[in-house]
Amino acid sequence: MPTIRVVNLKKYFGKVKAVDNISFEVKDGEFVALLGPSGCGKTTTLLMLAGIYKPTGGEIWFDDQLMNNVPPKYREIGMVFQNYALYPHMTVYENIAFPLRAKKMEENEIKKRVHDVAKKLMIENLLDRKPGQISGGQQQRVALARALIKQPKVLLFDEPLSNLDAKLRMMMRAEIKKLQEDLGITSVYVTHDQAEAMTMASRIVVFSRGKIMQYGTPDEVYRKPKNIFVATFIGNPAMNLIRNLDYIKEKGKAFLVSENLRLELPEDVAKKIEESKNSGKFILGFRPEDAKIDQKESDMGFWAYVYVLEPLGRDLIINLKVIGTEELIKIFAEDEVNIKKDEKVFVKLQHGKIHIFDSETEELII
Amino acid sequence: MRLSFYQRNADKIRIFLFILIMFAITSPIILSYFWLILRSFSVDMKGFIPTQLTVKNWRFLWSEIKGYPNIWKTTLNTAFVAIMVMLFEVFMTSMGGYALSRFDFPGRTSMMKFILVLHAFPSVSLMVAIYYVLKYLNLLDNLWGIILLKASLETPWATWVMKGFYDGIPWEMEWAGLVDGYSRFQVWRKVILPLVKPGVAVTAVFAFLSGWSEFIFINTFIFSQEFWTLSKYVKATIGDFRFADYGLLSAVGVFYALPTIILFFFVSKYMIKLTIGGVKG
Repeated sequence: MPTIRVVNLKKYFGKVKAVDNISFEVKDGEFVALLGPSGCGKTTTLLMLAGIYKPTGGEIWFDDQLMNNVPPKYREIGMVFQNYALYPHMTVYENIAFPLRAKKMEENEIKKRVHDVAKKLMIENLLDRKPGQISGGQQQRVALARALIKQPKVLLFDEPLSNLDAKLRMMMRAEIKKLQEDLGITSVYVTHDQAEAMTMASRIVVFSRGKIMQYGTPDEVYRKPKNIFVATFIGNPAMNLIRNLDYIKEKGKAFLVSENLRLELPEDVAKKIEESKNSGKFILGFRPEDAKIDQKESDMGFWAYVYVLEPLGRDLIINLKVIGTEELIKIFAEDEVNIKKDEKVFVKLQHGKIHIFDSETEELII
Repeated sequence: MRLSFYQRNADKIRIFLFILIMFAITSPIILSYFWLILRSFSVDMKGFIPTQLTVKNWRFLWSEIKGYPNIWKTTLNTAFVAIMVMLFEVFMTSMGGYALSRFDFPGRTSMMKFILVLHAFPSVSLMVAIYYVLKYLNLLDNLWGIILLKASLETPWATWVMKGFYDGIPWEMEWAGLVDGYSRFQVWRKVILPLVKPGVAVTAVFAFLSGWSEFIFINTFIFSQEFWTLSKYVKATIGDFRFADYGLLSAVGVFYALPTIILFFFVSKYMIKLTIGGVKG
């Protein structure tokens, strides 16, 4: 299985820079997700990997082979599309066999292979049906079978699960991941669903407006988001942000302050801020699970009042408004908290679990 | 609660009135066909009542009528024109429509606008120019001249129609074919073309019918009786140099319309089936 290397890749549609100078690498057998909101260039990138779009600039390498001018049929790729793109006039069998027919394979061999892959994906009983006669989940499996049948070196997925209902999506998520692990095929998976990317991929490329915001493992992009975009795009509920903070020092202690808010900073954090190039304005970020509710004031935190409670069964999300700034934040409550609407509480932040971004560049400082 | 007679039967009354109105609107057409068929089997008519039944009007089927060409030869000519126009049009529009729909070439937009404008021109206004062109190409009094003329005049519009059908096929379908190991042309032939079958059927039917019913160009550019088609034959029964033979006119008229009606029965069924079972999502 090849290593995919993308170097300074660009794709312009007229004046629109759909993909703007991106580089990343997908290792042999790795499962990488391209994650971003719609229109961020992730699908365009995938179509360039497939050879359907020609890059405006830059290079795509499969191992030591430059692929820029190689048509899709010679790339040894399998692809699954969002709408499955099954051929409606062919039976499921013919759909799956279609890539093999292109290779002029013997009919016996085709039959054997189709039945093998159909068995693996549990669609053997559907082979005589037309795509219009089977359910969305089944169509999805057929599309997968068609992508796998020619034993591709690279698998490309274009939001394959977004047309399924939530329950089926969760199931297929695990199944695709297992399949990829078993087969060890280098895979690139486009999605706008951060949960999909987090659960399935070994590494995630986060896209925004044709550029790469961050490339890292799910843990890295979650724990150490490089900028505000990644911080807010990944995680559900998103990371809480308190904007427009100033950095001051009083009596040897460091604070982030706004009009009605005063947050004492640990020494190491203060040091990082002082060492960084910054605009003088800061954004504080913390994950909903990294804060605690308390009744009395303690060293690092701020006061807020309860705005709305959202019980999720297992968890409880407390929506709070920060007193002074009126910013809405969400916090996962510890079990058995006893709070009421409009109650005033202290939000206690944890050392090492806060992120500070520069207001202007929106890049992470610590 | 007491409901009035109208309220109790509102749905039924509404449907009854609807049918009545529809019948009133369509009756002129239905009645005229009805009259035509009756007339072809009668010596004369008093309103809608035949005075005496006969099959003499249909004699052209089994005997040659003086002053007219053989009906079967004429029918063959008509079918030849209709089928050739159909083949030309299907061949050109199935490719041209794809190009207009899928390729981004310079002048594509203006070309499509131009096609619309072109279609607004009545072809009769081109008559004189066409005469010179046909004469130059040595295609006057030749059915090939008519076929090429007809096909070329209709291809732009039919291409536009086919483009619409191609537009309905998602790009992913095509990409899937490319990824599956086929060339663009193979994908078109094996995946895309079968999916626009309804479009091809529509184009084929309209092309066939327009060829079958062509009159103006035949009347103008065909001189020899051996190249007559049925429309010219019907025209001749009204006659410039003889008395109109209404019996013959009706019989030939019915004969002329018959294949079209039969064709339409077959194809409309086929087309409806295709649209319902067509491409999903």
